Amino acid sequence: MTEAEELKTTVLHSYHLEHSANMAEFGGYDMPLWYPSGTKAEHLAVITQAGLFDTSHMAVITVEGSGTFDLLQHSFSKDLLRCQNRGGGPLTEGRSVYGLLLNSDGTVLDDAIIGQLGEDRCMIVVNSGMGSAVGAHLKELAQGEVTITDHSDRLGKIDLQGPASARILENLFSDPDSVLTDMAYFSFKGDIFPGGSAALELKDGTRVILSRTGYTGEFGFELFTEKAKALNLWQMILAAGQPFGLLPCGLAARDSLRAGAMLPLSHQDIGNWVFGYTPWSFVLPWDNDGESWTKSFVGAQRLLQSERDYTYGFAGYDPRKISAGSTSEVKAEDGTTIGKVLTCTTDMAIGRVEERIVSIATPVSKGRPEAYQPRGLSCGFVRVDRPCLPGELVWLVEGKRKLKVEIRKSIRPDRTARAPMAQMRSS
Amino acid sequence: MKEIEELDLPGDIYYSKEHEWAAKDGDLIRIGISDYAQDQLGDIVFVELPEPGASFERNEEFGTLESVKAVSEIYLPVSGEIVAVNTELEDAPELLNENPYLNWIVEVRPNDIDQYDELLSRDDYLAMLKG
Repeated sequence: MTEAEELKTTVLHSYHLEHSANMAEFGGYDMPLWYPSGTKAEHLAVITQAGLFDTSHMAVITVEGSGTFDLLQHSFSKDLLRCQNRGGGPLTEGRSVYGLLLNSDGTVLDDAIIGQLGEDRCMIVVNSGMGSAVGAHLKELAQGEVTITDHSDRLGKIDLQGPASARILENLFSDPDSVLTDMAYFSFKGDIFPGGSAALELKDGTRVILSRTGYTGEFGFELFTEKAKALNLWQMILAAGQPFGLLPCGLAARDSLRAGAMLPLSHQDIGNWVFGYTPWSFVLPWDNDGESWTKSFVGAQRLLQSERDYTYGFAGYDPRKISAGSTSEVKAEDGTTIGKVLTCTTDMAIGRVEERIVSIATPVSKGRPEAYQPRGLSCGFVRVDRPCLPGELVWLVEGKRKLKVEIRKSIRPDRTARAPMAQMRSS
Repeated sequence: MKEIEELDLPGDIYYSKEHEWAAKDGDLIRIGISDYAQDQLGDIVFVELPEPGASFERNEEFGTLESVKAVSEIYLPVSGEIVAVNTELEDAPELLNENPYLNWIVEVRPNDIDQYDELLSRDDYLAMLKG
């Protein structure tokens, strides 16, 4: 058997092949990198209109039973009693939260979104191929009555991302107003797991979970449904999105969008090394002084020790890139090697206008030139052995290639992920 | 991704193992990338071109193409001096995706015209792609 035949496929695999997607291995699955419209058109569609992603390779686990809260509070990096409303309130039904599952040595097992389905009932979305590892990790930590189930192989997951997402979805529900009202960022509706009561159905009766989350930095949704319904759901959304310029998008656009939005890729930007000083320190349960934790959790002790390295986002000055990994390194301005490149891609929606980064989504009143066609900027993450300040310049070096990039706190401006629902439905 | 049968591979030019094409134009040879190369790379977002006047050996790297996912070197299939570069590509690298044959990359004055005849014909290149 060849390597390609051993790869897993999602329920939408035949669609990808029939539509001439350029395919590649990702997380053990044969996934589309881009469709014939190309990565640039796909990336820009998500920022100006909408894009549709097959994310069925991701893993979904449920945890149920009276021990659910204790298990997740102990294993997850966010404090589930203080993760809503800027640290004020507990996770409640229909809300979700992003954080990490750490090992006891402070390294990252995976990142995850936990959603509260009901009392003593949560869903956990983790990365491709991680269902069994995360399930086993939780089982080892579980005390009391807890049932942990991996649903990954019986679900399809589809992400609809971009400012037109809500207007596209309106066509799929018989009462869109009731569905799309009270859907704050990081909230969801529906329950498709055995024993679930909170049904959310499309016009045609398909049961879904509709979650206002995503991995692009833009306004949008993630939809979960039974595997048998996923292709039909995909086709229905594409048809509804046609008047809005919706494009099916591959993993290359997903990667460039998330990098521009400063979101980490698990096992690449965070992974089997101690979670250090990163742009994602908001995943930790900081107390008011920012010196310790509001709860104890797996990996907590190691993260209070000082020997940890530093991860920063960066943006370049043109679209040129360097390979991430062992063939490249990061050098300080004086030429000292200070670390390595974790991610380097091109956000094709941005450029520099007199040093300031401007997106095609930036309003003209905020400095976007009329008829703006930026060539894109390289961006990503570096992991270095010393603290750097925003605005500091470092060099990414690979053989003869040398790119000057700027350490940044944020990369693509004017993202829509948190935009008010009412505004996105009316615009 | 295009099937091999869908690739546009003109029969009146030559190809290299690294997926460049070469076309004789009087004493000069124009160099570009094949339809297979542009399809595999995906959207090209940046082209790094050599200076006119620079000389390169056969199969030496003379520039780079950047797609969203990767940086790829481009190799000169015949040794010689660069007499012209297609500066249109600096502002519109996507032209290589739109028509990789109309949109050449460099023009070379070859040191040894025999190297041109040693390149792959369409049929040889197609056979190589089919493995």
